[in-house]
Amino acid sequence: MSGPWVEKYRPNKLEDIIGQDQITNRLKKYVNEKSMPNLMFTGPAGVGKTTTALALAKSILGEYWRQNFLELNASDARGIDTVRNNIKNFCRLKPVGTPFRIIFLDEVDNMTKDAQHALRREMEMYTKTSSFILSCNYSSKIIDPIQSRCAIFRFTPVKGHEVIERLKYIAKEEDLDYDEPAIDSLVYFAEGDVRKAINILQASSAVDEKITEDSIHNIVSKAKPQDINKMINVALTGEFMEARNILREIMIMQGTSGEDIVNQIYQNVSRMAMDEKIKKETYIYLIESISETDFRIREGANPRIQLEALLTKFLAKN
Amino acid sequence: MLWVEKYRPKTFKEVLGNTKAKKEIEDWISNWKNGIPQKPILLVGPPGTGKTTMAHLIAKQFSDSIELNASDKRSYAVIKNTVGEASSTKSLFESESSEELKIIILDEVDGIHGTKDHGGTRAINKIITEGKHPLILAANDFYSKRLTTIKTKTKTIKIPKLRSNSIGAFLKRICRQEGIEFDEDVIKELSKQSNGDLRSAINDLQVMAQTKDYLTMEDIKIIGLKDSRSTIFDSVRTVLKSKSIDKIKKAMILEEDPTYVLEFIAENVPREYEDSEEIKKAYDMISLADLNFGRARSSRNYSYWRYSSEFMGLGVALSKKDTYRKFSKYTGPGSFSLMGRTRKKKELRISVAKKMSEKLHISNSEAINEFPYMEIMFSNDRIAYKISSFLDLDDDEIKLFRKKKIPKKIIKEEMVKKVENNNSSSLESSSLNSVNVVSKISDIDDIENVSNLQKTKNNSKKKKRKVENKNSEKKKKSKQTSLFEF
Repeated sequence: MSGPWVEKYRPNKLEDIIGQDQITNRLKKYVNEKSMPNLMFTGPAGVGKTTTALALAKSILGEYWRQNFLELNASDARGIDTVRNNIKNFCRLKPVGTPFRIIFLDEVDNMTKDAQHALRREMEMYTKTSSFILSCNYSSKIIDPIQSRCAIFRFTPVKGHEVIERLKYIAKEEDLDYDEPAIDSLVYFAEGDVRKAINILQASSAVDEKITEDSIHNIVSKAKPQDINKMINVALTGEFMEARNILREIMIMQGTSGEDIVNQIYQNVSRMAMDEKIKKETYIYLIESISETDFRIREGANPRIQLEALLTKFLAKN
Repeated sequence: MLWVEKYRPKTFKEVLGNTKAKKEIEDWISNWKNGIPQKPILLVGPPGTGKTTMAHLIAKQFSDSIELNASDKRSYAVIKNTVGEASSTKSLFESESSEELKIIILDEVDGIHGTKDHGGTRAINKIITEGKHPLILAANDFYSKRLTTIKTKTKTIKIPKLRSNSIGAFLKRICRQEGIEFDEDVIKELSKQSNGDLRSAINDLQVMAQTKDYLTMEDIKIIGLKDSRSTIFDSVRTVLKSKSIDKIKKAMILEEDPTYVLEFIAENVPREYEDSEEIKKAYDMISLADLNFGRARSSRNYSYWRYSSEFMGLGVALSKKDTYRKFSKYTGPGSFSLMGRTRKKKELRISVAKKMSEKLHISNSEAINEFPYMEIMFSNDRIAYKISSFLDLDDDEIKLFRKKKIPKKIIKEEMVKKVENNNSSSLESSSLNSVNVVSKISDIDDIENVSNLQKTKNNSKKKKRKVENKNSEKKKKSKQTSLFEF
């Protein structure tokens, strides 16, 4: 099995998952008992929520796991219809060869409130035949009734030395030539996100024979979205039409959501202030505008128009 | 009696304006009369410019005519039966005289309904190609989809808007005949407001004259509001060019989706306004208008719309210090055309993201976030091949990450490797895939080359064997503890 290393080196067993020992130890009890309550995994990206869910399902359901396991990515299918159709149809059927079926819902925090309420009913109705594993980045976005129906497990960013160990293991398996500092800086950039770390490692192995600190820096800067930075700089020079075109490119072509762009603009602007590229007064003025844009987008305004309006605040602020 | 009927021209010469078009039509008839079959003509122009009138007057000069317009059902069967029969038959006494020709008028062709008039355009096309009779088609919208196939087979005659001078003159003639007195300004305003539509001007005049014999500017107010049908471009121009509250409020009365109007205004703000401060102020207003649209949507309380209208109209207009004296070229919302142009690429991105999300257990948006890494990985031929075959990407989808195709040589080599791996693993356990892969390779190229490659790969093969052996030893030691799937 070749392909992306994130998949190739995804642990299949609970005991092989790194950095989440406390959680996996408790989950192993469910495997021994062959039963489990509804679970909720919360935590940042790339710390093993999906991997743990898959490994748990495989351990509990054994050889029939495929027939009795439903994986749904809630952020792609987050409407109430998904809950009503896909999940209901799956829960209705009797488990085959296993005591119960498992439904894994990823990124539940992106589900609409309506869909969450519908989900709550399903969780109650099918307790005898099905168990749910929900995963999310922020448990605060999940309605209380669902939280109260789940055993909550909080995943933390994977510690540096554990990531290093893992990366070195992969490097050995793949016959990679690398520097020690390269791995250190990789871990620094990954910020506890193992998926990101492995992706950077594979990307740099694609480009360089020997992986050095420089090659890691190179990959990280290439993979970072440059367009937002460019857009802000163009706006600062007063070229509104051009900046607006870049924004549209990002939103329409690349399909980046308004919320993501607001976040990136915010990060960019605060970095510029730290580097003293803009005045303090300008900085706080821009932050005020960004916060207002953020609020308006959440209020249901059209994100593109709001962001175009935000761009005008950058004009002639250089 | 309706004045529009009373004063409808009785002969072709009486038709107002459009001398060039009239000449073309007259030539067309006289050719038919002389026994020279002509292409059908398609009269295109805004309402009230005399298309139907002209068609009927021409028809009058022939002995017989058949008309079908939007009030009739115009499905394939109907058109075929009523017009089709007539168009392909001639009278019993076959003679070449024009008297025997039947003129067929199809009015409001662009109004053929997509589903109710099923096959309507097809029938028309058929009549055009088969018909032996003069055929006149009339339509309002030259760019209508229903006209695309018809346009190529007909001679198009454009009937432009009537000039307000000629409309004014005609209105005055009616007033004189009806014994109505008027202020000059009334006629002027009326013909201006009619926007080149003689029919509506006459109708308006009749409404005003119903109760009075003397018309003043006061009377025009009765019809003033209803008739301010400006186009979206006119409205945008007014907002950006003017500062008058009166004009702008009027311009905001439009039969368009208000959010679309907002997009239109936003698009053109930086095309008109030059000062950054002005653009910023204008966009503040646009943002507020948009916010109120959002509030209306989420609360289902559409009275918020009125604030939007004020912000995007007067608000944007007052953002400029002075009005610009220049010609600015306005365009439709750029983001809309970008959406259209990039639809294909976007679909491609989504299809790749879907494949990734399925195989890698991530959401579509997370998959898109990983595109930059994929691009870097795909710069390496071998990795590109491995990942694309893992994700089952087709050639178009691979192009999303790299411009060049993956070299065939690499594909071949990688396939050989796969066979080797499968063979060696089949020593330990049974492998079902190896046969498939071998047959695939023979599909791709002659086996000779492959076997050569295999020879050169022998060294690396031996190395691999060693590793495999080690692994198998480990496996024996602890039955099920192979850490990772290879």
